Amino acid sequence: MTALDLQALLPLVLTTATAIAVMIAVTITRRHGLAAWLCAAGLAAAIASIASARECAPRHISDLLVIDSFARFYSGLILAGSLVVAVLSYGYLKLRTDRHEEYYILLPLAAVGSLVIVCSANLLAFLLGLELLSICLFALIAYRRTGRGDLEAAVKYLILAGASSAFAVFGAALIYADRGSLAFGPPGLALSSPVALAGIAALLVGVGFKLALVPFHFWTPDVYQGAPAPIAGFIATVSKGAVFALALRYLSTENLLADGRIIWLLTAIAAASMLAGNLLALRQDNVKRMLAYSSIAHVGYLLIALLASASLGRPAAAIYLTAYFLASLGAFGVVGALSQPTRDADALADYRGLAWRRPFLAFTLTAMLLSLAGLPLTAGFVGKLSLVFSGVSSALWLLLSALVLGSVISIFYYLRLLAALFATPPASEPAISSPNTPWPTTAALLFLTVALLAIGLWPAPLLDLIQKMAVAAW
Amino acid sequence: MTELWLIPALPLAGFLLLLIGPSLGRRASSLIGAGSVGASFLVCLFTAWSFAGKPITQTLWHWFTVSNLSVDVALRVDQLSLVMILVVTGVGFLIHLYSLGYMAGDDAFSRFLAYMDLFVAFMLTLVLGDTLLTLFVGWEGVGLCSYLLIGFWYRDPSNGRAARKAFLVTRVGDTAFTIALFILATKFHTLNIEAILTACQAWPVGSALAVTVAGLLLGGALGKSAQLPLQVWLPDAMAGPTPVSALIHAATMVTAGAYLIARMFPLFQLAPDVLQLVAAIGASTLVLAGLSACVQRDIKRVLAYSTISQIGYMFLALGVGAPSAAMFHLVTHAFFKALLFLGAGAVIHALGNQQDLFKMGGLRKALPATFWTFLIGSAALVALPPTGGFASKDLILELTWASAPGARWLWAMGVFGAFLTAYYTARMFALAFFGPPHSHVHHKPGPVMIVPLILLAAGSLLTAALDWPGPLGGAPFFSHFLAPLFPVSDAHEVSASLASILQASSLASALAGIVTATLAFRRFSPSVSPDRPSPLVRFLLSGCGFDSLYNLLFIRPFLFLTRLNRNDILDSFYTALAWVAGLFHRGLSRSQTGQVRWYAFALALGAVILLAVMVLL
Repeated sequence: MTALDLQALLPLVLTTATAIAVMIAVTITRRHGLAAWLCAAGLAAAIASIASARECAPRHISDLLVIDSFARFYSGLILAGSLVVAVLSYGYLKLRTDRHEEYYILLPLAAVGSLVIVCSANLLAFLLGLELLSICLFALIAYRRTGRGDLEAAVKYLILAGASSAFAVFGAALIYADRGSLAFGPPGLALSSPVALAGIAALLVGVGFKLALVPFHFWTPDVYQGAPAPIAGFIATVSKGAVFALALRYLSTENLLADGRIIWLLTAIAAASMLAGNLLALRQDNVKRMLAYSSIAHVGYLLIALLASASLGRPAAAIYLTAYFLASLGAFGVVGALSQPTRDADALADYRGLAWRRPFLAFTLTAMLLSLAGLPLTAGFVGKLSLVFSGVSSALWLLLSALVLGSVISIFYYLRLLAALFATPPASEPAISSPNTPWPTTAALLFLTVALLAIGLWPAPLLDLIQKMAVAAW
Repeated sequence: MTELWLIPALPLAGFLLLLIGPSLGRRASSLIGAGSVGASFLVCLFTAWSFAGKPITQTLWHWFTVSNLSVDVALRVDQLSLVMILVVTGVGFLIHLYSLGYMAGDDAFSRFLAYMDLFVAFMLTLVLGDTLLTLFVGWEGVGLCSYLLIGFWYRDPSNGRAARKAFLVTRVGDTAFTIALFILATKFHTLNIEAILTACQAWPVGSALAVTVAGLLLGGALGKSAQLPLQVWLPDAMAGPTPVSALIHAATMVTAGAYLIARMFPLFQLAPDVLQLVAAIGASTLVLAGLSACVQRDIKRVLAYSTISQIGYMFLALGVGAPSAAMFHLVTHAFFKALLFLGAGAVIHALGNQQDLFKMGGLRKALPATFWTFLIGSAALVALPPTGGFASKDLILELTWASAPGARWLWAMGVFGAFLTAYYTARMFALAFFGPPHSHVHHKPGPVMIVPLILLAAGSLLTAALDWPGPLGGAPFFSHFLAPLFPVSDAHEVSASLASILQASSLASALAGIVTATLAFRRFSPSVSPDRPSPLVRFLLSGCGFDSLYNLLFIRPFLFLTRLNRNDILDSFYTALAWVAGLFHRGLSRSQTGQVRWYAFALALGAVILLAVMVLL
């Protein structure tokens, strides 16, 4: 382990140190603000350590991890997402449980798990990261312990994630049996061997579960609904983004797209996810469930980038994920900001006439929904455009038709919520009298909105960054 | 002076500040609203002062590159745009000042000023644009502001209808304009005006392409400047507050069409047929609109038809190859028509929103300042010496006579127009200020409204000195100033004796008009007027029946087609799609049971399928 290795690992180290620092702080004094600030500062330092590292050459650290520009880009995305979640959580938790502090230990640990997934060069590292992420998420989902919903959600997640992890471990074992190594290629897997193929199928179950792809999507709405709003945002973005980046890396290092069956399977899964996700969201009156269903569709769209040619697919994936991160975190942030101590603001009725009561939150949510719908002037448009572009260049017509159809359907339910936002407020008292938004939440939402619109209006800087980082060969 | 961007940026900044809304307070709103235009006027004055005769171009930023078309956002000041920015900001500032008094009682005071500032910013972008696309941004922007301000009092649905009408009718012309832009962009790979005007000289005179492009540009100009056959929107546009009519629908925006033709004049010279069409349209418009103005009862509609008619003179001048005369009339018209509108506004304001001429009368004593300034404005409109209107209209008629032997009938129409102008002006003047009073004066205009009137009246007189006829001891400063852009040709030289005869004949027709109107309306009293006007008057009242014609030609068939297609066959496809989507939604929702055992089963089933596909296939 050289100094350069350590520098490359700095984001991981700093994030882990954040968790430890919060742990120590909590033993000394239980103060919510202190824990939250420590967590946010640690994550910010980790982001800074990525930005400051100039060196772009891929660096292997033991057999397990590889830090290249691809990993660094997605690490940055993950850490930024976690930081936003941490800031949003501060305002959210303040109104709720009396034990806030452990939350800020679990959150950086979940981020560490995600970072390990993104940086893994070996199935073992991937599985370790996956488990770390999952275990932290069990606790985070159930953190409030106020109602039946969150415990139920945590138990569901526990059981199903356990089952899917079992598949993933089994798949890794099969691949090891075939190849004698857990490291990623090259050379790619021998796709003729049935053992390796079965291993890939089993791995795909684990990955598909985390990405909430059809037919492994059933848990999503229940868990999102039960989880605290910021954590639902975390599951929708950070956890999915990490696993998606891993899938992108694994598919191309192992050259899996050489096999027609895998292409066929992924195409079917992607199309089914786009359609099922959007159709399920169509008349959903629960906003958190609606966002959950729409996230199924969004990952379905993302698979287009996975199947397209690498030169266009990889930047498209990075752009789309960035836009999706911004919009999803913003949407869940607004849900969290509107929530009461006793329950989250997830009913459509809670949003009626919001524009007249809370113009800032309504404006933010409007921007987020328009971006999710992929309308111009938002980052979502840029993302969808590059996604379609990559799909067209690889002639993925079936998937593109599904994307168009899915987008048309999705406009309906996004606009349905938007229409509710701007509807005349009900004459009687609003269904919930939402508390004032604490300033960190406002700042985070403002940041997300500005970034969303800035990328939508002037995407060139982000595209340059992505061209430089997320496309690098490995 | 390289700070050209400040000129449109100041009013734009004013608009952005005013967006904060009523919380600013009236004093701050007034200061921002009028002050930003005033500051812009000062920058314009400074630009004019340092202007050395050479055009100045300022490229602000690179806009976009699409294959081989590259467009910059650039501003350019030359003789033509310098004249325009001075008029827009100078007259605009006075109108802003006036509206502080006129709109003082309105709830949406700051919204009004915000729109007005936005309008000025777009108008300046239009006249300063160095590329046709920048010009087009301003062109569409002023259209938007016109729409917003016509429908300013949006609670009355008829105002909204008038706003939509204005927007839609000008859109017809804008479509032609856009097509012209596309053709130019594909042919020349640039939208820079200078480059286009240079490159198009390669076209032979009268070539099909030149005629097409000039014709399409003319289409845009006709819509914006309310000329035949797209003039129908302007009379209805009077639904907006009176300062809006003065600024947008008299002094600046509606003259943008004339500006566009003058700006692209070298291109039009390659299409002599189109130029003849411009002249013919101008002449017909000025007569038809003049006729309509003679019978209107609403003082603002008189002025609206008069505006259409006066812009007809500008088009006539453009058509006979005298763009500098057209621009001169644009300048003088901006002053005296703004003055007349603001004077009419003062009358309307004083009588408590009374716009009916037949219910005015006798205001000479009650509103002396308005009376005198209105008198000067009317004299300029009638083209009596020594006003600016006399100098500019006289120049147009003289050049029309001299342009070609075949153009004599155009001249005759112009002279007949002068008669009509004198008639309706004198009629309006007599009805409003003489005779027995029919309405009570509620409140007199304050100094903030009177001062702009006086300044505009002074402008209406002083602009005469810009290009006073040579035979009467003047010098053509204005034509010489514009000479680098529009060379003065010798063919247009008219001998002094002929010029005197032409002046005498147009003056005689004007005096005839005044006398006729005075005799008819000196002792006018509303009871004399028949309750049901004769068919001819009704025809003229409706603006020569164009609305009914378009109703018959376009609106009815269109509505008929929409009715036929009420149960749209395409719609049924979408309905079916929605229905199918709803069906699938219900079906899939049933799969979300919330039971872990079913979820786990689905997971296992999915795994089995994946394994089967991978291993067995």
